[in-house]
Amino acid sequence: MIRRRTAVVAVSGLFTAALFLALVTHSTGIVRDDPERKRWIPAELTMPLELRVAYNDSEIFFHYRWPADRPHVYTDLLRYNDGRWERKLHSPVGSDPDGIYEDRLTMMVDDGSVPEFQRYGGYITVGANMRDFSDAGDYAGRDDAHRRKYLPATRSDPDDWYSIVDADTLAAQREAGYFLDLWHWRAHLSNPVGHSDDQFIAWYRLYDSGQGPFFSNWDGDAKQPRFMFDAAASGQPALRWEDVTGTGARMPTGYFLSEDTAVPFDAGRDWRDGDVIPGQVLREPSGGRGTIRVQGEGRWADGYWDVTLARKLDTGYPLEDKIFRDQGVYSIALSVHRDARASRWHYVSMPVQVGLGRNGDVKATRFDGAVPDWSRIEPHEVKLFYPGQVSWPRLTHEIHAGSKYIAKGVPVKFRHSEAQLAQYGVEIEFEREIRRQWWLSMIAGVLLVVSFVFSVSILLGHRED
Amino acid sequence: MAPYHAMMAHFPVAIFLTASIILAFRAISAGQLARSFDRVLVPLLALGIVTGVVTYVFGLMVWPADTLQTTPLGRNHMMAATWSMAYWTAVLALRWWVGERAWEGFTNRLIMLGLGALGGGLLAITGTIGGHLHGAPSFLTSVLREIGWEVYATFYFPSWIFFVLAVVIVAMPAVAVVTVRSRNARMKAEGGAA
Repeated sequence: MIRRRTAVVAVSGLFTAALFLALVTHSTGIVRDDPERKRWIPAELTMPLELRVAYNDSEIFFHYRWPADRPHVYTDLLRYNDGRWERKLHSPVGSDPDGIYEDRLTMMVDDGSVPEFQRYGGYITVGANMRDFSDAGDYAGRDDAHRRKYLPATRSDPDDWYSIVDADTLAAQREAGYFLDLWHWRAHLSNPVGHSDDQFIAWYRLYDSGQGPFFSNWDGDAKQPRFMFDAAASGQPALRWEDVTGTGARMPTGYFLSEDTAVPFDAGRDWRDGDVIPGQVLREPSGGRGTIRVQGEGRWADGYWDVTLARKLDTGYPLEDKIFRDQGVYSIALSVHRDARASRWHYVSMPVQVGLGRNGDVKATRFDGAVPDWSRIEPHEVKLFYPGQVSWPRLTHEIHAGSKYIAKGVPVKFRHSEAQLAQYGVEIEFEREIRRQWWLSMIAGVLLVVSFVFSVSILLGHRED
Repeated sequence: MAPYHAMMAHFPVAIFLTASIILAFRAISAGQLARSFDRVLVPLLALGIVTGVVTYVFGLMVWPADTLQTTPLGRNHMMAATWSMAYWTAVLALRWWVGERAWEGFTNRLIMLGLGALGGGLLAITGTIGGHLHGAPSFLTSVLREIGWEVYATFYFPSWIFFVLAVVIVAMPAVAVVTVRSRNARMKAEGGAA
C-alpha cells in the first residue's frame, strides 16, 4: 500500500526525472550522416580565420591564417592497381576517408556592382537545384556535377538552374560589372607553383582567360598517365599510396608533378600495385588566370596554414577581375575547405567589407615598399561557418521567415550570427525529420504536463471531499 | 500581425508571472495577505488563459504555418507557448479542483511552489524566444545555453524518449489512482470496523 505523501513524491519524482531526461537528450537522434542523400555534418560547425590586408601603390596583399589539424595536399591521383592505372578523382561526401582532397581557400570579391553580395555574401551564388544538395528537384541525376554557382540575375526563373538568360543580356551584365571575382588558392593545384587560381562567378563559375596552373596528366585513350616523376632526380618515378594517405600532421615534400620536372610516362617500367602519380601536372599560369601569386610561401606548420596572396590593384582584366583603387571599399566573402572535404562541405564567412585607406570591417593598411610587415598589422578575426543546404531561392521565398527583411535589404549580419546560420544550415538538411519529431515532442510534452497535474489533483483530492 | 501579437503577449505574461508569485508566496506563507492573493488565483489564471489563447492565435498569424514550422526559433517559440498554455491551464484546473487543500501540509506546498517556479520558467523561455524572433534577444538566451539548450536548435526528443514518456504519462495517474483507491478502501474498512 502506498501512502499519499509517498505517492505525491513518486509522481513528482517521475515528472522531474522525465523533464531532466528530456532536457539532457533533446535535439539528438535525428541528425546523422547519410551519404546516400548527400548529408554529412562536420563535427565543428564554425572555425576561425585571421585576415590581414595591406596595399601599396600597385599591389594588394591578403594574409590568411587558419587552423587545420593536418595538411591535405593531394587531389586527383592516378593509381596503379591490379595491372592497370585508374583515376582516383571524385568529390567525396564529407571528408574523404583516405584524406585525398586538397585544402583550399577561396575569396569572392566585389566592388559594389553586385549589391546583394555586400549584404548576403556567398548565399546569393547558391541557386536552384545545386549539385550535392539532397534534393535537386526535377534535375536529380542529370548533369549533377555541372550545377554550380551563379548570380541571381543570370536566371529568368529563380527556381530553375537551367533558365539562363540570353547571351546578350549576360554580356551586358558582365560589362556592367555584374560578376564576382573569385580567388582560388589550392594546396595542390596552385600553391606549389606560387599561384592562386583565378575565377569569376557570373552565369556560372568560370575561369579567367589565359593558361591555368595545371593540366590533366590522364591519357584517356591509353588509360595511363602522360607524365611521371623523374626517377633520376627524385629517386622514384611515382609516389606510394601508403605515403599519400598516411601523411599525418606534417607537410610532405615532392608531392606534386610539375611541367619542369616531369618526364614522359614509361609504360614499360615495372610498376607495382599502390604506385601513385598525380593526375594533374602543374605549370606557370599566364594571362588573366595567372594574376594572383602566393607571396613568400604558402605553408602549413604547427596546425595552421599561413598563406599570403598578392595581386596587382589593376590587373588589366576588368571583365574578369575586380579592380582595387585607393580609398575604395570592397566586399569579400571567404571560404575554407579542409579535412579532405570538397564541394559544399566547406566553411564560409559572412560578407566582410575591406576599405583601402577607408574604414570597413577591415581597413587595409597602406605601406611603402615591396612587401608588407605583417607583424605591424593587427589581424581581423573572421568566423567561418558550415552553411548546410541553404539556397538563395529558399532565402528569398516566404518559407524563410526573414525573406521580407531580404526584400527590404536588411543585411544578414543584422539578424543572424555565424553559429546561428550554421545551426540553421544543419536543420534545413533534416527539415522533414526534425519537423515530425518536433510535432511529436510538442504533443508528448503537453500529455506529460496534463498527466502530472491530473495525477497530483487526484492525490490531493477534490476540495469538497 | 506581429505587433499585435507582441502587444497581446504582455497580458498573459504579466498575469501568469503574477500567478507564479502568488503560488510561491502562498506556499511559504499562511498569512492573511497570502490567503487574499490565493483567493484571486483561479479567476486570475482564467483571465491569463483567455488572453493567452488570443495571443497564441495572433502568433500563429504572424507567418504562414509552413514558415513558422520550418524555423528553429519559430518552432521553439511555438512549442514553449503551447507547453505554457497547457501547463497553466492544468494548474488552473488543479487549483480549482483541490481548492484550499493545495496548501495543506509541507508536501502539497512544496508541489505548488514547484508548479509556480516551473510555470514561471516556461513563461520566461517562451518570452525569451519570442524576443529573439522579434529581433530583440536577451541575456536569458545565454542562461539557456548554459543549461544545455541552444535556442537556435529545434527542441525535440529522440524517438526512444517517447517510450519513456509514454510509461511516465501512464504511470503517474496509475500511481495516483491506486493510492487513492487503496486509501479509500482502507478508510472504508476502518469506518466499517468502527
